Amino acid sequence: MYSPKLSELVAPEAIDVLRGAVIDVAERSFFTPADASADDGLPDLGSASDAWLVAAVRFKEAGCAGTVTCMLPHDLSRALFDAFNGRDPLDPPPSVGELSDLIGEFANMICGAWLTRTVDGPAFLLSAPVVRVSARDAALDASDGPRVMMSLNDRPLVVAVALA
Amino acid sequence: MDDSAMMRAQIKRVVKLAGVPVDEILEASNGVEALAILETQDVQWLLTDINMPVMNGAELLREIARHDKWRALGKVIISTDGSTARREEAAALDVHRYLEKPFSPEVLRDVLTEAVGAGRA
Repeated sequence: MYSPKLSELVAPEAIDVLRGAVIDVAERSFFTPADASADDGLPDLGSASDAWLVAAVRFKEAGCAGTVTCMLPHDLSRALFDAFNGRDPLDPPPSVGELSDLIGEFANMICGAWLTRTVDGPAFLLSAPVVRVSARDAALDASDGPRVMMSLNDRPLVVAVALA
Repeated sequence: MDDSAMMRAQIKRVVKLAGVPVDEILEASNGVEALAILETQDVQWLLTDINMPVMNGAELLREIARHDKWRALGKVIISTDGSTARREEAAALDVHRYLEKPFSPEVLRDVLTEAVGAGRA
């Protein structure tokens, strides 16, 4: 059975796969166009006081362990919720719990899709996502390690991989 | 069965929109809840995630395989884990179809339509 090395999970090729996983999850299950950010940076990050959601999923695969963390502004979270659920604008807005559930599932899909494509072979275990609300700057400091900057519907999404 | 209520809701929507002939859709957030349902309800099809707390999908499927009374139960896995190891494990547990997340609703619709249409003895 193939066992990945920790270094392979953060190699440039693996980070490219992470971008592909984000695009696939966003477009296929959340019906939201996604692009890797251009070299001149992310879309408008908003103000420092804006609320962001931080969703972290811990993984364990054949001796490797780490966390994939998704960081996104609240308005993008709401847009993803509406797209996933086909929510009518006249419907009541989602509760905090519903929004957290949905963004946790978003992060869960990204982590799983990335692991499946990066190291095909061994099964992996994912923890239940942990989702919290944070001010923008604290959110963007939520995780160390390599990260990808994405644009979803012209809104920023940051996904980071941290190894244990 | 999925620990995400949002995912369970989406799957229910797709099942209804697909026109798959079902009498009732029952929900569980982990394997223990699913077993309780299986013990008391006449279930024909189980759609299950893998990674869940308390009892995950793989543990549930192994438990189901131990009992003859659930021999005819149709099983579909819907999971982010598309690894070779999981797929091989699923095949050994007589899983009918393995659907990898992310998926489009149309793919789920087609899987369910084919699965229910094929029927189980």
